[in-house]
Amino acid sequence: MRLAPRISLLVAASLLSIGSAHAETVVKIGAALSLTGPAAAYGAQQKVGILAAVEEVNRSGALKGVKLEAVIEDDASTKEQGIAVFQRFINKDKVAAIIGPTLSNTATAADPLAQGARVPVVAVSNTAPKGITDIGDFIWRVSLTEGQVIPGALKRLQAKLGFKKAGVLYGNDDAFTQAGYNVMKAATEAMALEVVGTQTFAKPDKDYTAQLTALLGGKPEILIVSALVENASGIVAQARQLGWQGPIFGGNGFNSPKLMGNAGPAAEGVYVGTAWNKVSSAAPNQAFLKNMAARAHEPDQFCAQAWTGVMAIAEAIRLSGKGGREEVRAGFLKLKALPTPLGTFSFLESRDGSHDPALQVVKDGKFQIVQ
Amino acid sequence: MLEQLSDLYLTYQSTLGYIGINALLALSVYVSLSCGQLALGSAGFAALGAYAGALATMKADLPFPLALLLSALLPALVAVPLGLPVLRLKGVFLAIATIGFGEVVRLGLVNWEYVNGAQGIVAIPQKASIWMISLAVAVTLYVLSRVRGSKWGFALEAIREDEPAARTMGIPSTRYKLAMLVLGAALAGLAGGLEAHFTFMVAPNGFGFSRVVDMLVFAVVGGAQLFWGPVVGAGFLTVLPEVLREVAPLVGIEPGPLRMLVNGLVLLLVILYLPAGLVSLPRRLRERRAAP
Repeated sequence: MRLAPRISLLVAASLLSIGSAHAETVVKIGAALSLTGPAAAYGAQQKVGILAAVEEVNRSGALKGVKLEAVIEDDASTKEQGIAVFQRFINKDKVAAIIGPTLSNTATAADPLAQGARVPVVAVSNTAPKGITDIGDFIWRVSLTEGQVIPGALKRLQAKLGFKKAGVLYGNDDAFTQAGYNVMKAATEAMALEVVGTQTFAKPDKDYTAQLTALLGGKPEILIVSALVENASGIVAQARQLGWQGPIFGGNGFNSPKLMGNAGPAAEGVYVGTAWNKVSSAAPNQAFLKNMAARAHEPDQFCAQAWTGVMAIAEAIRLSGKGGREEVRAGFLKLKALPTPLGTFSFLESRDGSHDPALQVVKDGKFQIVQ
Repeated sequence: MLEQLSDLYLTYQSTLGYIGINALLALSVYVSLSCGQLALGSAGFAALGAYAGALATMKADLPFPLALLLSALLPALVAVPLGLPVLRLKGVFLAIATIGFGEVVRLGLVNWEYVNGAQGIVAIPQKASIWMISLAVAVTLYVLSRVRGSKWGFALEAIREDEPAARTMGIPSTRYKLAMLVLGAALAGLAGGLEAHFTFMVAPNGFGFSRVVDMLVFAVVGGAQLFWGPVVGAGFLTVLPEVLREVAPLVGIEPGPLRMLVNGLVLLLVILYLPAGLVSLPRRLRERRAAP
């Protein structure tokens, strides 16, 4: 039994070497990233992660006879160009798999095209719980959904700090922050937390004092906030100005070093659930950090997830021995316990990613993991 | 050879579809411009059309032609009570009021939980095809071509050039302006309905202020004086990003920044040197050649 895959690998490898004069087949991976527009900050990190991971796979020689090539295109944070990029990848570049797109909204518009053409997609930053992997059996996800990160992190924080009353603030005009809020709401209900108030804001807002004052009036013991990093910085800074000394728990949007850059010392004591434990001493994470240090790049969670996306595709190609579209998908089905910077990674039955999330806190101007 | 052609078509089919959708949106801004009104409510109308169409298909299970009809009809109906007060405003004030309407629609949808708020409606069946979108553009162009040179066309031109003079000639200017606003709303709604059934999803953020600016730019770059100018503008500016993807590696600039640079340059050059839009380029060239 155990020999069978190895034999098929051997057969595949020998077929490959007969098939081409230089024993290397190039397998293209398309990456639809938001390099311009509102999500450009995330796309830039993803680009570095993908290029570095492809280089690393090719250097390591783990894929005998296969050379990965990344094709990166900008979707301008819009669904119109996201769709155009996907159709390019599918019909023109003939990629074996697609990574992205950066935004969940774009994914709901573009992923059905890949599903229809039977091209595997690996989402590396889509966190909306519904509407991504349920598009079909070719849509896979490395990034944890908000539902996989927030409840666990919040529970761990409660065990540590013992709060019972919470004030909730969220951005209601953004798909990402709204999805985060839905999960937070479910989590507070499951934990029987008393919610003293729920307030909303919109992305262009700069002044949150009205909402914060209303929330603080209810005497909460913790503030729970779902916001993108630009708003998050302002909310944190203004909460501190209003005299709030207690803990603030943020959604995935807080997961950026920009938070400390913008809010400065006010960000101290902000807790965030994260898919990536940056200080993990596990070997794959240390190797990732070393690779990034060599590029003089400061990686964040999005970079680590993009790297993991490429590694998952590489592993799938290794497992099925070939770099075709069906083979990559078949490889995903076999992929188990892959060591990555995010931790030991597997796919769930729902094609969503699974690995242990972590809880981090801002201390001395840096994210530090809460043990 | 045939396979390569079909690949080429498949690669750019979404671009083709978007040329048509953007053309309809540009025309929706143009019809108001044709009687001198800068009405910028089209993003709101398109959002109404898109949501009406998507809900008709997904919740009420209506056949696609009926859903599209609803997409065009609902914004047209909304345009009547909106138009009566706001068309008393002129110039930039009308623009501000109609932009305000668009934002009200967007924020209303963001706060409407039944349609998933900011996450929008997803997994809409793809029912619009390229030929349907092309047909919609063709029919619209035909109608507009018939208006030109007719009694209606002259009335609209008269209102555009000098509204008080037109009124003294007995042209009921308010009625004409309202009719054009309603027509523009129907076109925008139709485009929204087509887009919803072409791209699998609609979300409120796709219909923000920047979208209506895009429509206006299509109309201005193509030429807002001739009815087919906006279509040329929409076609040109929709194809441009895809062309730049090919060009970018040759000039060594990332496609993203290059797109923004070229978009800005095109707009600047057209406004400075071709105030009547790209469609006036052949005439301008002829004139230059004729001049000694």
